[in-house]
Amino acid sequence: MSPTTFTAAHVAELVALAALASVAACDPVRADAINALGPEAPGVRRGPLHRPGQPCLYCHDGALGDPQRFTIAGTVFETPSATFAAAGVVVSLVDAKGSAIDLRTNAAGNFYTTPGQYDPTFPIQATIQAGSQVVRMQTLIEGNGTVEPNGACATCHFDPAGPSSPGHVSMALDDGGTPP
Amino acid sequence: MTFAKILGRVAIAGALWSLACSGCSAPPSDGRYAQTSLPDAVTFSPVATLLVVRCGSLECHGTVARNLRLYGSAGLRWSPTDRPLVPACDTSAEVAQDYESVLGLEPEALSAVVASHASSPDALTMVRKARGVEAHKGGQIWTAGDESDTCLVSWLAGAANANACASGLAAVLPGGSSNPLVRCVSQP
Repeated sequence: MSPTTFTAAHVAELVALAALASVAACDPVRADAINALGPEAPGVRRGPLHRPGQPCLYCHDGALGDPQRFTIAGTVFETPSATFAAAGVVVSLVDAKGSAIDLRTNAAGNFYTTPGQYDPTFPIQATIQAGSQVVRMQTLIEGNGTVEPNGACATCHFDPAGPSSPGHVSMALDDGGTPP
Repeated sequence: MTFAKILGRVAIAGALWSLACSGCSAPPSDGRYAQTSLPDAVTFSPVATLLVVRCGSLECHGTVARNLRLYGSAGLRWSPTDRPLVPACDTSAEVAQDYESVLGLEPEALSAVVASHASSPDALTMVRKARGVEAHKGGQIWTAGDESDTCLVSWLAGAANANACASGLAAVLPGGSSNPLVRCVSQP
């Protein structure tokens, strides 16, 4: 197309296409889910220590304008009944092709990995370890969620525990035993 | 506006009206289907466990939004007081719910497959989706003829092969045969 044939009609078409694209990019389900998370906790800045226990990939999904994409991310707490961070826990992941990675939880109990570090093929097996205590997730992480992508532990592991959630990820039971 | 254009718009409006009407129409009252051949309920329990583990995680068919809704230890629990993996094995109520879920997917096709002793199990969408020969959001779950597929097809053929179900579970679950969910099937 030469510049001389670029008419007002073409401009209008481009504007319409851009408007359509922006509408298509707007996912009301995701937007509602993110809004339901609420604001940042007072005194905690956006970064590796923020929003422990929340489904990280709602925002860390790689969408234009959003923060860095994570492939797997979550939080480990000490016990089921309290939300004390379990720092220094080793989170071991093995994907369907045998690709593995070990991550370590930070001071907030958070851990995460980017596509450049680890871009797994679902399903994934997960194990967490602190010292000699090992907790193995008995089921597989399939990676299909209502809000996708879904490498966020908190999509299923949310509070309160109930028929549709085992509760947040914890290193030990309240009595010191090992979670199932 | 020419006559041809007017005619064209009338035709489009008529087509849209027909489409809207057909979308609102209810099935005829005599269109109900009574299943003539039901798969075996007695040996369904290990099949249910396999389906819940392979298909019914909390992010897949272990949610109430899916038309194949599955309840069980590895995912969504039926009792409001139960939790995932607590108790460790599927309850009889969950197995009954899963049985109803499978029966309700494609009643006519299921009856035909059961009546033929699963001579063509891939007539069922759930079999094709699990084998990955039909589009499936969860991708291919197993391969035709492997332990998991044998577990499901044997049940459709008459009686579930519990050993195949246990092997299918052990093949994918952490810890293999020592996984608590595998023990639920092998030592009910």
